[in-house]
Amino acid sequence: MNRAVRKVLNQALTSCRATPCIQHPVWASVSQRQYKSMPTHGIGRWRHLLPKEAPKKKKDRHQMKQIMSATETAYGTLNVKVSGFDMTVVEHYSQYIHNLCNRFGIKVAECYALPTKSTEVMLMQEQGTKMYVDSILKTHERVVQLSSLNAALCPVFMEVILKNQPEGVQLSMKEHTEADYHARFKARPELEGLMAQIGQ
Amino acid sequence: MASRGLVRFVSRVSSSGLRPLSSTSVCRATLQNKHVTDKATSPWTLMAAVCLQRLPVISSDLSPIEQQFKHMLSQMELEKSMLSDHELRLLEDKERMSRKQANDYDSDDEDGRGDQDIVLTQDLEDSWEQKFKSFQPAPRVRADVDENLTSPERCLADSLLLLVEQQVGGQKMWLLPQTQWQEGETLRQTAERALSSLSGAGFKATFLGNAPCGVYKYKLPKAIRTESSVGTKVFFFKAILSDSSRPAAPTSPFLWVTKGELQRYLKPAYMAKVDRFIPQV
Repeated sequence: MNRAVRKVLNQALTSCRATPCIQHPVWASVSQRQYKSMPTHGIGRWRHLLPKEAPKKKKDRHQMKQIMSATETAYGTLNVKVSGFDMTVVEHYSQYIHNLCNRFGIKVAECYALPTKSTEVMLMQEQGTKMYVDSILKTHERVVQLSSLNAALCPVFMEVILKNQPEGVQLSMKEHTEADYHARFKARPELEGLMAQIGQ
Repeated sequence: MASRGLVRFVSRVSSSGLRPLSSTSVCRATLQNKHVTDKATSPWTLMAAVCLQRLPVISSDLSPIEQQFKHMLSQMELEKSMLSDHELRLLEDKERMSRKQANDYDSDDEDGRGDQDIVLTQDLEDSWEQKFKSFQPAPRVRADVDENLTSPERCLADSLLLLVEQQVGGQKMWLLPQTQWQEGETLRQTAERALSSLSGAGFKATFLGNAPCGVYKYKLPKAIRTESSVGTKVFFFKAILSDSSRPAAPTSPFLWVTKGELQRYLKPAYMAKVDRFIPQV
């Protein structure tokens, strides 16, 4: 009886393998399991159509952007520094300069803020020699870095900026140097100590 | 775009006899030859003028709509804002006072600073109010200084332009300070010379660039016109006044005028060209 059952089973299996399975045309190139039977399976797939991206490294050390040098017709990397006591006015003015550069077609390399500096105003007391803290003034600084400024456009740009400078805000334009870039980072005394030890 | 317009203007200028600056010696030799041949044929006298501006010192007054909007915005910000440290301390003090006045007050229950009662926050605020009341700000608009046309401190909310009265072709007229271009100097140096010589020694200015911002072409009347002198071309350079120290002794009468008053002093054709590069502000 077992032999008869086995024969029947073998016949069933061979009959299954003989019939050709329906190959969906989309699945022909894919090595995934085709266990989904709906004809529209995978109809919304799009990520396989995008170009392959290199995997992004998580710990990416911030590299300094290339400092452009001045050519005959254009200035190099310039820093437009806006500083003042009133943060809203300083920020709005730096945003205004950034938008103006976008409209004029001047490329803005970076736009960052320098740390706030606090100044304590100490007054002498009326009776006695002790100084007491009268107020704390905070100086806010924002920098808009332009990668290159055309020398013919410079006078127009400067005039618009100067004419719209608000009260209580100081403007300065300087060339960008490596020292300026490194001044943004905090000093690491223990690292420097270790490096000095290695050097010795 | 402004940059494209200016580049087109610069190329037009260079084709009309202005000697372009270049750094290679070969280029300079060929240019000099070209210039010598040009000089023989160019009938225009070149002059450079300086458009010296004093920037506005204070912001202009707000229009009624701007005032209403500002008022509405400040109200909205006040309603949305959180209490500051000072205001929180005021509330705490009030609470403590009310607790002290209660009959079952026990000072050991207090868990705050001991010296709160010596200087109350309200007293601090009152002393600040007193100091603010005693502060006198300078007036924004002074009518007598506004009337004086020679003072660079008039009309602090507008930008001012320097005008000088010069003798041009036998006629005295008001225009931007200009002198004739000489051999061997750039047009910008001519403009700097015009500023220092004509309007007294006291004006320290920063020039905004090497490119001129405008040009005025003047053809001499047919009677005087000859083969070698057809007319003059005046190139304008923009400069910003860096400090407003009074000149010791002005060599010629000068004026500081706003854009609205410019029409009264300049000739119409000249005014039309100058108008193009003076912004509305």
